[in-house]
Amino acid sequence: MATLSDSRKRELRRELESIVGPGAVLSDADELMVYESDGLTLFRALADFVVFPTSVDHVSAIVKLANRESLPFVARGAGTGLSGGCLPAEGGIVLSLMRMNRVLEVDYDNQIVVVEPGLVNLHLSWKVGPRGYYYAPDPSSQQACTIGGNIANNSGGPHTLKYGVTTNHVLGLEVVMPDGEIVWLGGKTRETCGYDLAGVFVGSEGTFGIATKIVVRILKKPQAVKTVLAVFDAIDRASAAVSAIIARGLVPAAMEMIDHLTIQAVEDAFNCGYPRDADAALLIELDGLAVGMEVQAERIVEACREAGAREIRTAKTEAERQLLWKGRKSAFGAYGRVSPAYMVMDGVIPRTKLPYVLGRVNEIVAASGLRVGNVFHAGDGNLHPNILYDPRKPGEEARVVAAGAEIMKVCADVGGSISGEHGIGLEKADFMPFIFSVADLSLMQRLKNAFNPRGLCNPGKVFPTKKSCVEVGPVAYRPHAIEEKGLAQRF
Amino acid sequence: MPDALLEKLCAAVGSPNVLTGIELSPYVVEGRTPEAAVFPASVEEVAAVIALAAEAGMPVTPWGGGTAASVGLPAARSGLVLGLRRLGRLLDHEPGDLTATVEAGMTIAAFQAVLRGRGQWMSLDPADADRATVGGVLATNAYGPRRHLYGTARDLLIGVTVVTADGAVVKGGGKVVKNVAGYDLPKLFIGSYGTLGVIVEATVKLRPLPDQEELVGVRFDCLKDAGAAVRSIMASDLIPNAIELLDASATTGAGVAGSARGVGTTPGGGPSASPAPTATLVVGFDGVREQVDWQRAELARLMGPLGAHDVQSLEARVWPRLATAARAAVPLTAAVMVFAVLPSQVAETMEQGAGMARARGLHAAWAAHAGVGVVRAALAADAVPKKPAAIAAVLAEWREMARAGGGHATLEWAPLSVKSQIPVWDDPGAAGRIMERIKAQLDPRNILNRGRFVAGI
Repeated sequence: MATLSDSRKRELRRELESIVGPGAVLSDADELMVYESDGLTLFRALADFVVFPTSVDHVSAIVKLANRESLPFVARGAGTGLSGGCLPAEGGIVLSLMRMNRVLEVDYDNQIVVVEPGLVNLHLSWKVGPRGYYYAPDPSSQQACTIGGNIANNSGGPHTLKYGVTTNHVLGLEVVMPDGEIVWLGGKTRETCGYDLAGVFVGSEGTFGIATKIVVRILKKPQAVKTVLAVFDAIDRASAAVSAIIARGLVPAAMEMIDHLTIQAVEDAFNCGYPRDADAALLIELDGLAVGMEVQAERIVEACREAGAREIRTAKTEAERQLLWKGRKSAFGAYGRVSPAYMVMDGVIPRTKLPYVLGRVNEIVAASGLRVGNVFHAGDGNLHPNILYDPRKPGEEARVVAAGAEIMKVCADVGGSISGEHGIGLEKADFMPFIFSVADLSLMQRLKNAFNPRGLCNPGKVFPTKKSCVEVGPVAYRPHAIEEKGLAQRF
Repeated sequence: MPDALLEKLCAAVGSPNVLTGIELSPYVVEGRTPEAAVFPASVEEVAAVIALAAEAGMPVTPWGGGTAASVGLPAARSGLVLGLRRLGRLLDHEPGDLTATVEAGMTIAAFQAVLRGRGQWMSLDPADADRATVGGVLATNAYGPRRHLYGTARDLLIGVTVVTADGAVVKGGGKVVKNVAGYDLPKLFIGSYGTLGVIVEATVKLRPLPDQEELVGVRFDCLKDAGAAVRSIMASDLIPNAIELLDASATTGAGVAGSARGVGTTPGGGPSASPAPTATLVVGFDGVREQVDWQRAELARLMGPLGAHDVQSLEARVWPRLATAARAAVPLTAAVMVFAVLPSQVAETMEQGAGMARARGLHAAWAAHAGVGVVRAALAADAVPKKPAAIAAVLAEWREMARAGGGHATLEWAPLSVKSQIPVWDDPGAAGRIMERIKAQLDPRNILNRGRFVAGI
């Protein structure tokens, strides 16, 4: 790709300013650096421009300009992604949608809301909370991440076990297509006319266009919630409990696993009351009608006991519940106590394969001379091994990346997937052949061609490249800006 | 059908599995007879058949149970019927994973029976479960009343194997319940009516069977009151698994009248020539016994002040009739239209639509999955047949009504004489161009279900 000359860059900056107004275009190297990576700081790339549109017409005009100039472009939300998915190609335009953050319409009768893509996930639940509603997908970065970013990645979260991921809550999207045309995919009704383009768009990692309005469902808050902590002396027993609960016909709202190393780190840092000597703990949450909750909780307790739980605690108050969840949700911050850096992995396996795969993960990391902490969505089989390392030690980061690849291979080999919620982005593009054949990828490429024939919209993502990721990266780890502020975590 | 192609097809799947001539009568749609019907027994055989058809430029019509064979426009040339009935095996079911992988030709009823034996189910309850196949239900995005709580195929399908128009075997998604690797191909194939590829295998999420399930019927004087009752249920703490709104005819069609359990059977609900001024709300609950009992009582409490007459438990046999309530209410059907509207517009759509038909001297039966805004109307044919133009005129008014409220309408069934006067599918707007591009990318020679779908696809 040809580099823009300084004079051409000045002209384009003026033209972009004529679209979005002054104060909404960045082109100085210092300012652009803020946008050179997402939550996965391993990969970095500088754009020519970062632009802050405030309307769909702005987005369309910017995209048309990019097409005219054959410049690559990519939409960006809060930048909390963990796969390098919103990184610019070297050069081109980043469209930051953070100023398009309004709730446009709330329809409680029909339980739908129309939002702009830059709206922060949690702010939607705040908005509808007073009327007894909430937005179900709850990624761990929900205090910072945007609904638009959630659309790109089809984001999940702890409560997706019962309520599904982003795609299960999206009805329609206004999209600026990669050629600048404005199109509605789906709408406000539950059925669409023709192919399910909204369903195909969600999770396309920004390669099919830019969503500028999003219609989502909101749910009634459950009448009651019950949170249980089951403590195990062996992580295999905790894994067995997960399958036992499922096999007993119970689908909790969330079922999260926290391993020994993570418990210790969390207790060191925050004192949440998890037993420090436990090998693993399962945090299980039931929600729904108040009536019948006890019966279901008893079945959970029984399943955990039969699987060998040594202790089972039930949160008696909301404060106790919050403390248990704090143990789960602050795990990332807590790793800082035990290691200078860590890298979070994201893989999915059939639930029944948990004992085997967790064993393999530990073996692989140990063979690399590193340590791993596991804290993850056990009910979904969505693993998050966090490999601890020291970026100042030469070669350690490369060993982490290599171990990560091996773990992905294990997930693929047991019939799982290489990403449950973080996306493929740049990070895992070269792992795609682990689970998809040439024919599978060819069909995906043809689908992409139907949306994005010129390939200017978020190039270089999802599909394997000749370059391996080790050649692109890694560079030294550093915390993301919002992580430093304590606003978000990595899963 | 060229002899050479026929020979190759016989070689691919075995002669007994290739039908021609008079044997093709079950596969005649709208008077159009296919040139042959082939029944492969494996994914590889499906791929071989499609590759042969593609090479010969022969159109292919995928065929599951045939329950939706007359949906859409019939192809100008039906070509080869590709029957999936020999791909009927359950490939994998791991109860601890709550997932199962099944071949496309297995019927919904057979699949559910196996799962039920192991305490689980696929939370999808389309009509005609005895004949409808997993592949067909996915390709047509069919569903039933329980979609209110459990959603549609798009909420269940986690992996799909299709044979594309060039004979390639392609997998999308996987076998795990959470997966964002690559594009969401399962979504692409759900509801694509076989125009992008032939679904041969599917992996779905399952649910545990609930301890208890109960269906409750509530009678109202008019649809408007019943509509208000739906809103009140939606805003309450209740978690129903179905909310069905039936007009008087559909109440009869679903067999609700006379199926109340215990004393106090609903009066006046027997078959009648003219619609009585009543509406029935049918609400389903599942869960542990305490939950079902509490919800039934809470429903009765909520409905009291809203003009409800009786709140009665219904027999379980009403469940499968709900998905076909409208069409079963009309002895001779002139057309069936399905509307997607906002849930708050359901009762009004039914009332207005009935008025439009009446104004033209026609009667229709109306039934809705009220909580999700899906309304189905069956237009009755008179003893003295109306001209197709008169039928089409009502259908066009109905569609206009749905569009005015931001919804849309699909002509689910009508004879060809009516279909030739009003489009089967609604206008997808600018998105139609993307659909055309997808079709051109995936089926450039236009082999699969040619001309049957939206936007002329």
